[in-house]
Amino acid sequence: MEMVLKSLISDVDEKSEIVMNNLTKVKLNTVQTIKAIHTKDGAMRDFLFTLGCYEGQTITVISKLSSTYVVNINDARYSIDDELAKAIIV
Amino acid sequence: MMRIALAGNPNSGKTTLFNAITGSIEHVGNWPGVTVSRKEGNAKKQITNELGTVRIIDLPGTYSMSPFTSEERITRDYVKHENPDVIINIVDASSLNRSLFFTTQLLELGVPVVVALNKWDLTGKKSIEIDTEKLALELGCPVIKTTAINDKGLKELLEACSRVKGLSQSAPFVGIDFDSVDKETLIESDKKRHVYVNELVSNVELRKESSDNQNLNDKIDRIVANKYLGIPIFAVILYLVFSISQTTLGPFLADYLVGWIDAFYGFVQTLIGDSVSPLLSALLLDGIIGGVGAIVGFLPLIMVLFFLLALLEDSGYMARVAVVMDPYLKKVGLSGRSIIPMVISTGCAIPGIMSTRTIRDDRQRRTTAMLTSFMPCGAKLPVIALFAGVFFQEAAWVGTLMYFIGIMIVVVGALVIRKITGDTTRSFFILELPEYRFPSFKRAFISMISQGKQFVIKAVTIILISNTLVQVMQTFNWNFQLVEEGMASTSILASLAGPLSILFIPLGFGLWQLAAAAITGFIAKENVVGTLAVVFGITNFINTEELVLVSGSGEVASIMGLTTVAALAYLCFNLFTPPCFAAIGAMNAELDSKKWLFGAIGFQLGMGYTLAYFIYQIGTLITTGQFGQGTLLGLIGVVIYIGFITYLIKRNEQANLTLSSEGA
Repeated sequence: MEMVLKSLISDVDEKSEIVMNNLTKVKLNTVQTIKAIHTKDGAMRDFLFTLGCYEGQTITVISKLSSTYVVNINDARYSIDDELAKAIIV
Repeated sequence: MMRIALAGNPNSGKTTLFNAITGSIEHVGNWPGVTVSRKEGNAKKQITNELGTVRIIDLPGTYSMSPFTSEERITRDYVKHENPDVIINIVDASSLNRSLFFTTQLLELGVPVVVALNKWDLTGKKSIEIDTEKLALELGCPVIKTTAINDKGLKELLEACSRVKGLSQSAPFVGIDFDSVDKETLIESDKKRHVYVNELVSNVELRKESSDNQNLNDKIDRIVANKYLGIPIFAVILYLVFSISQTTLGPFLADYLVGWIDAFYGFVQTLIGDSVSPLLSALLLDGIIGGVGAIVGFLPLIMVLFFLLALLEDSGYMARVAVVMDPYLKKVGLSGRSIIPMVISTGCAIPGIMSTRTIRDDRQRRTTAMLTSFMPCGAKLPVIALFAGVFFQEAAWVGTLMYFIGIMIVVVGALVIRKITGDTTRSFFILELPEYRFPSFKRAFISMISQGKQFVIKAVTIILISNTLVQVMQTFNWNFQLVEEGMASTSILASLAGPLSILFIPLGFGLWQLAAAAITGFIAKENVVGTLAVVFGITNFINTEELVLVSGSGEVASIMGLTTVAALAYLCFNLFTPPCFAAIGAMNAELDSKKWLFGAIGFQLGMGYTLAYFIYQIGTLITTGQFGQGTLLGLIGVVIYIGFITYLIKRNEQANLTLSSEGA
């Protein structure tokens, strides 16, 4: 029974973004640690990796401008749209 | 001779450094990816001293050398095949961590590297301390502080290059060879590389203020890229840019230059007198000098526009514009970066189309290149002004309406093209936000000259040649005799335009003169005005050099024989068809596919025809209670056009359905 519950919960964790925290939900100017990048766009994932944006690294949301987020990765500023922000799980 | 390659991240100041060292003229912009094509130049004598000839090669800005995109492969391939003596790696001192990732990769190439720690002036302002000696020791290569915008550190940089030439360096971090491994292993190796860089940075860099906090840049961004204020601010800035370039400074300069051309024209005219054949006289005076005069007439307007836009780019503002516009442009399948080509195209579509190079996504770039010429350009302004003057009592709403229609066509066109080609890639939007800085007038001036040069070369050759051709065609008949005043319908041009004008009957302007003017409009849109003046014989009403209506709007209207509705239709036809040949040439270069090129031209032709058709037919119906002439025939053309587009859309939807049902 315990095993079933555990696997159910982890299933929910993996599939439901409501449970997970992504960049659209975090407080401004607080350092976050990236848990995953949820995207099928391999090229984007590779690009983010080059900038230092991948699991285990830190990222901070500096400001939120309508549906755009200004983030700080490795001391550099980038503007990303909310699609991308939702894909970065912290 | 020493050959040095410049490599570094986008926005690191690479192009600025290139210009500062070589004294050659290149376009400088704050957008990532502006330097996409390869540039070379020789270093200035003042900097090289006794080093002899130094050749600098500017490589595309890139964040790494992993072989995942073609931009990244360029650096590696270049080094492998062309063996530069030294690589200068330009590193933005204010983003050391990200930059050094690439540096460590460059150090593995086996070519001596010198690091130019650029934007050094910013480290003071942002209270960042970097121990450059420690960094040089760790990396195993010289690290030279530079501030390219102030020309600081350049001599030391080249001297360091000559010192390391021919020597070998040992790389501080050795990753795995790209070609021999799979992606997983490469990523693992690169993760270790990131760890190495993080450690290195923590040893040599000290930041008094964490980059995670909001700084002045961010505060400015919150206003400038604000959800509500962003677009109004952009609108105000655009208005200023246009009023300076199109209504105050631009025309002021143009008047001077046109005055000189006029004087020269008169001079040559008296010089050749009557003793030269009319053919030669027409060629020389109206063809060549007249052609140059037409270009000189609106070149200052465009150059001032380039200058102002360069200032805006240099300041870093343009990146914010893309951020502000992205949510809206995304809805029609374009990216935020598409806004800049559109803005530039209101000056001239040729540089506008060329600037689409910065858009990463192929489909978005091609769509933008194709649609951007629908924005009324500087050359179309005389046409708008003429028609507004003759048919609409100089009403200001005519011009505004044209821009509005242009925007609507861009939006509709973007949606249609997306439906035809299928929007399968949901490309995320990420854009690096560079520091704001006070723009350099010198750099903007250099950029203006460079863009002006590109435009002049592209446009002048085509405009000059074809203008001369048209002049000859309208001055002579098939026997090469001079065509008399009032006998214009016997000219070569008339006989060619006549058959074409039949197609224009359903649009309300089925006269050979109007067809001829539209044809010359493909050479340069402002030719429409000049040609109309000549073929209708109304050069006393229209000044063909300055392309303005001098007087007699009523007479001109009746001479042209157009109703107000038909005039509007004709105006729209000329504005919203394929652009001038020079712009089509630029489009060809960016579309890079014959299929797209012919599709684009077909789309544009059909759009102009359909728009003029509906304006004329429905407008005539409203104003007179009856449809205009040729309703049914024109309808056939329109139906074919719309039908073909619908077919393409349906075909794409079918393909998608088949794909998804196969997948299921």
